[in-house]
Amino acid sequence: MSHCAALALATALLAPAPAAAWWWPLGPAYGHPLKPIVALEGEGHFAAVLDALSPAFLQNLRPNDLRDAYLMRGESFEALNRPDAALGEYQLGVSLFPKSVALLVHEASLLHRDELDEHALVLFQRALVYDRKNWRAHLGLAEIDRRLGFLDRAVTQYSLALEEDPYDAGVWRDDAEVLLARREPEAAEYALGRALDIDPKSSDAHVLLAFARRAQDDLPGALAELDAAARLGAGVGVLRAKTLWLIEAGRPADAAVEARVLLAKAPGDPAGLWALARAALPSSPSRAAEILAPLASADPEAPFSARAAAALRKAALRPDRVAAKTSP
Amino acid sequence: MRPPAALALVFLACASLARAAPDLSADALLRDHLWREVRTAAPDRRPKVGLVLSAGSLRGVAHVGVIRVLEDAEFPIDVVAGTSMGAVVGSFYAGGVPMAKMWSIAKGLRVDSGNNLSARRLISLLLFDRLLSSANAERMIRRTLGSRTFAQLLKPFACVSMDIYTGEAIIFRDGDVATAVRASMNLPGIFEPLEYRHRFLTDGGVVDYIPIDAARLLGAQWTLASVTETDFTAARPKSVLDALEQVIDIRGSYLSREQRKQADFLIEPPVGRIGMFDSQRIPEALDKGVITAARRLPAAEESLILASIPLLEPGWAADPRLFR
Repeated sequence: MSHCAALALATALLAPAPAAAWWWPLGPAYGHPLKPIVALEGEGHFAAVLDALSPAFLQNLRPNDLRDAYLMRGESFEALNRPDAALGEYQLGVSLFPKSVALLVHEASLLHRDELDEHALVLFQRALVYDRKNWRAHLGLAEIDRRLGFLDRAVTQYSLALEEDPYDAGVWRDDAEVLLARREPEAAEYALGRALDIDPKSSDAHVLLAFARRAQDDLPGALAELDAAARLGAGVGVLRAKTLWLIEAGRPADAAVEARVLLAKAPGDPAGLWALARAALPSSPSRAAEILAPLASADPEAPFSARAAAALRKAALRPDRVAAKTSP
Repeated sequence: MRPPAALALVFLACASLARAAPDLSADALLRDHLWREVRTAAPDRRPKVGLVLSAGSLRGVAHVGVIRVLEDAEFPIDVVAGTSMGAVVGSFYAGGVPMAKMWSIAKGLRVDSGNNLSARRLISLLLFDRLLSSANAERMIRRTLGSRTFAQLLKPFACVSMDIYTGEAIIFRDGDVATAVRASMNLPGIFEPLEYRHRFLTDGGVVDYIPIDAARLLGAQWTLASVTETDFTAARPKSVLDALEQVIDIRGSYLSREQRKQADFLIEPPVGRIGMFDSQRIPEALDKGVITAARRLPAAEESLILASIPLLEPGWAADPRLFR
């Protein structure tokens, strides 16, 4: 048989074979040594995964398997709540496989979680060089940009992440929060609509929708969304918002009623005390000051609500205010 | 090898850890509620807010980042005062230059932007002992603001220069803006003093690094100062220009220590290690302005709210239906 014919025959026989079998004459199938360990990880036996992926075992792995092994070691350490060890695995993996998008993104995510955003930013950007549509990298950059104050960049990154995966309600909600911070409530409403299409029972989405409505001066709409969030089991924070927003809506009596409900559930709640004091202020500034007394503190280190209460008390108890209310 | 489903689940779990719920704590909601009141209050129901922009040469581009954050937050700014680079940025902001344009101008700045600070001219300065002209600086400002007077700006603005013969701080609040800003950034020892209104004027940073008094002259009752000071302890001057920069930085630093205490609120982008003429690090300075201002914004809002409560309270007490 001529060389050409032999080559043609070999090609015809081997071409349809699965890719994993291509190297059969030369060694074990690609990924084969890791399969049992992957099964262990799938069953949640993370300590066993780490035992199995010992240094001696890693020494004999092919490059692609070694890369996946570092990934699995890192993920197992994360699952065992050992983020420092996980970071070490990812960093070692990235040093050996600098173009591995999975390793880059995992390392960046951990750094971002630890608020080491300058380093995380670089890694997410590198991941996008090799995979410009990587959802997790775009999301990571969005979160970093948002945290650092680059809201316009954050919006762009959220948009790119949502292009890759438009079915994550949480990302739509985060996108909406940034849009609200940029004073774009209409766009935020659209994003929240998408979020609620995916997850109709999200109380967080209704709360954000309430903020969006309020930003458009639709306080009745905002209050209705707070009620919707409350029906979905949102906590006492929704009551707080409603108490304060009723003041904004020009309904101080209703605000006082809500404040009493709030204070029954959360005694001493600053928002509740503030609303009661505001309701009392026109008729009795001294009563308003008395309501705020337990909360008020002018200490610069005190919480904001305490310092605000102290400021309002001081204003309400000004001699001219008290005299004006007590004079016949 | 594709990650199996378990790996993907762990991965997604990690991804979802970053998802945050809206902040419905008492402090956050009360701040948000009161900030809405302050932002929408009539002018007589909150203090007049002055934005003060310090000197700092090219480091001062960080002020653009600070203003970007304040604009996004709709922080009420009633008057603006600046010295040197703070005067350049302040004049643009007070003149209503859009943020995108300000950012673009800042990014494009070079050591010789708007002046004759090329290597050839510096050598000429040293050899022939002749100071350079800052006329190009004025032309640069005019290209952006035109020939507007102070009265034609959108917000009241003041900038500070120094009379090199008397050492007085000269505060400009009227007349031609471009000329006044040029005087404010007229670096001594490099540019010849600008003769204007019978004064011989140089950079105001030598006598008034953080022009809070200028803002108060414009009526500011609460001041937010953006300060771009140097960390002169890190510098190792090796040239005539480096030595001049070091002397100016030391002077500015000592001066600003007292002036800082006069501001009601400070935003201090950490640009101290960026050289006075280090144009390659301008993007870094811009970003640091944004990052620092974004981090300080909630505290700035709280400070202005607390200062506003005594003025808001009478309105609250007078009519419970009036909340705007």
